[in-house]
Amino acid sequence: MTLFTAAAGNYPKVGEAPEQQGLRRAIQKFQDGKITAAELDAVANEVTSAVIRDQEAAGLDIVTDGLIRWEDGQTYIARKLDGFEIGGLIRYFDTNTYYRQPIVSGAVRWRAPITVDDYRFAASKATKPVKAVLTGPYTLASLSEDRTGRGRRTLVADLASALAEEAHALDEAGAPYIQIDEPAWGRDPGPASLLVEALGTVFGGVKKAKRAVQISFGPAGDSLAALAGAPVDIVGLDLVEGRADLARLGAFHGAKCALALGIFDARGTRLEDADDVLAVVRGVLDSAGPRDLYLTTNCGLEFLPRDRAERKLAHLVAVARRAKEVLA
Amino acid sequence: MILPTTSVGSFPKPEYLTKARAQAARGQMSREELAALEERATRESIAMQEEVGIDVLVDGEMYRGDMVAYFAESIEGMEEGGLVRSYGNRYYRKPIVTGALRRPGPLTVERFRFAQSLTSKPIKAILTGPYTMMDWSFNEHYATRADLTLAFAELIHGEVADLEKAGAKYIQIDEPAISTRPEEIDLAVEAMGIVTKGIKAKTLTHICYGRFEQIYPKMLEIPVDHIDLEMSNSGFDMLELMKKHPFTKEIGLGVVDSHSHVIESPDLVAERIRAALCVIPVEKVYVDPDCGLKTRSWEETRGKLEAIVQGARIVRQELGVKV
Repeated sequence: MTLFTAAAGNYPKVGEAPEQQGLRRAIQKFQDGKITAAELDAVANEVTSAVIRDQEAAGLDIVTDGLIRWEDGQTYIARKLDGFEIGGLIRYFDTNTYYRQPIVSGAVRWRAPITVDDYRFAASKATKPVKAVLTGPYTLASLSEDRTGRGRRTLVADLASALAEEAHALDEAGAPYIQIDEPAWGRDPGPASLLVEALGTVFGGVKKAKRAVQISFGPAGDSLAALAGAPVDIVGLDLVEGRADLARLGAFHGAKCALALGIFDARGTRLEDADDVLAVVRGVLDSAGPRDLYLTTNCGLEFLPRDRAERKLAHLVAVARRAKEVLA
Repeated sequence: MILPTTSVGSFPKPEYLTKARAQAARGQMSREELAALEERATRESIAMQEEVGIDVLVDGEMYRGDMVAYFAESIEGMEEGGLVRSYGNRYYRKPIVTGALRRPGPLTVERFRFAQSLTSKPIKAILTGPYTMMDWSFNEHYATRADLTLAFAELIHGEVADLEKAGAKYIQIDEPAISTRPEEIDLAVEAMGIVTKGIKAKTLTHICYGRFEQIYPKMLEIPVDHIDLEMSNSGFDMLELMKKHPFTKEIGLGVVDSHSHVIESPDLVAERIRAALCVIPVEKVYVDPDCGLKTRSWEETRGKLEAIVQGARIVRQELGVKV
C-alpha cells in the first residue's frame, strides 16, 4: 500500500498580500469593461500557476488547478452545457456562501470541452500530477431547479451522459486522475443504485485515468457498500462531517478501490490532532484492509482564507509524513 | 400608538464616510477624524428618521462594516480573519476565535448614549446574536459549536445588561444565521435565553434569509418579546403558516424589500399590513423594512421609510385611530 497526499479541489482565489489580490481586481475591471476577456484569462492563468506552486511547495503528491476560474461548483459546468439557464443567488448547503442556481429548461447536452484547456494549462505548469475535478451529476441535479418536469432520476442520467463526454475528453488529454465531486450525496443521498449507475455512465469512456468519486458535506452512510463495488478506482469520503462512516468501512473489505480520507477539515481553521489522524488511518487499514490511501481535506479549501489554507496543507503533509513513518 | 414604525438596523454610509473609512484603513486618516465623520453621519441618520416620522429609531450603524467583524474587533479571544469569498467576486473577513472570549468593557454603550442624546424618541440598540457570532466565525478554541455559542451568549448578556442600565428601551439581538440549520434551533433558543435572562427592556431578534417554514413555529420559543421578520421578500408566505400556528409574540413586519431599488408605494405597504392584521393582533405589529438598508442608496432608503410611514398612516386611519 502507498499513502499519498492530495488536494481535494478548489483553492482560495485571493490572499492578503497585494500580489495575491490580482484576480479580484481583474474580475472587477472586467465587469467594469476596462479589460478584455483575454486579459482576465491571463490573470487567471497567473493565479492558477501561483496556487499550483503553493500546493507543490506544501509537499502534496497530487495537485489541482485550484478551480480558480470557477465562480462556483455548479455554474462553471452548467453554463457550458446545453439545456441550462442561470438563475438567482441561493445559499450553498449550510455555508455562508452563495451560487447562482442553474435552471434546467431543455435537453441537457455536452457541446464542447469545458475543463480540458484548464487541465492542459495546469499540467503544463505543474511538476506533480494534476487531478481534474468535475461536479457530479447527482449534485448538479440536486442544486439546480428543474423546470422540465423530467424527474431527478432522468435528470441525473442525462447529466451523467453529458459529463461522460467531458470525462472522456479529459482522459484523452492525459489527465491522470478524474474526480467527480458529489457534495449533495453527503447532505441528502438518494438510492445507492442511482449514484453507482451515474458513475458508470460518467466513467464509461475513460481508459487511462484513475476514476475518483468524492463524497462531502456528510457521510456516504448506507451507500458505502454500493460505492465499494462502483466502477471507480478511488472512493473519497468526508470523515469530518461524515465521521460516522469510519465505523462502517468494513464494507470495503475485499474491494479493490483505494480510499481518499477527507480527515482534514477544510471548513475550519483549527489544525487536526496528529495522533487522532494516525488512529483513523490505522483504523481504516484494519477495517477495510490494506490498500492505497490518499490523505486529503474533506472538501475544497476555498472556505478558508488563503493563509489558513496554506497552513492546513502544510499540516496535512506533516501529519502524512508521520503516518508514513509509523506505518512503515 | 398602534403600528409603530422602525428600521432593522443599518443605513447606507454617505460617500464622504465610505471614502474616509478607506483612507483610515490605509492609515491616511486618524481615528479621531474618522470618528468625527461617523458622528456627523449618525446625526444625519437620526435627523432623517425624525423628518420622515419614524417612531423607534436606529443609529444607522455608520461605524460598522460587517455585523460580526465589528464585534470581533473588540472582543478578547477573537482575531481578524483573512478574506473568504461569499459569492461571485464578493469577499468578507471571517473572524477566528483563538482563545477564551472576554468583553473588555461595554462594546456599544457609548454609541447608544450618543445616538439617544440626539433625539427624544427611543433609539433601538442592536447587537449580533450568539448563534450568528458562532456560525460566522472560525472556532479554534472551544470544543464544540454549542460551547462557543454559549460563551458568546454569556458575553452578549453582559452587553445587553449594560445597555439596559444606560436606558435602552429596545434591544435587538440579530440572528440572521438561525434559519441556516434548523437542526440547531434548540441551541439558538438556549443561547438567547442566556442573553435575555432578567432583562426588562423590550428584547427583539431579527431573522432573515428565508426558509422560515423550517423553523416555524419552533422560532416562537426564542426567548425575546419581539421577532422581526423579512416578509415582503418571501411574498408573505409566512402568513399562511401563522394561520395554522398563531404568532404569539410582537412582530417586526418587513413590508419593503431591502434588496430592491424599487420604492414601494404607501398603498402596497398598507395592503401588506392589512394582510398581516388578518392573522396577528394589531397591538403586536411594528412596521419596518425587510432587513438593513445599507446596500440601498440614501434616496432609496428615505423613500422606503417614507412609504412605510405613509402606509402605516393609511391603515391607522382605516382603523379609526387618530394619527
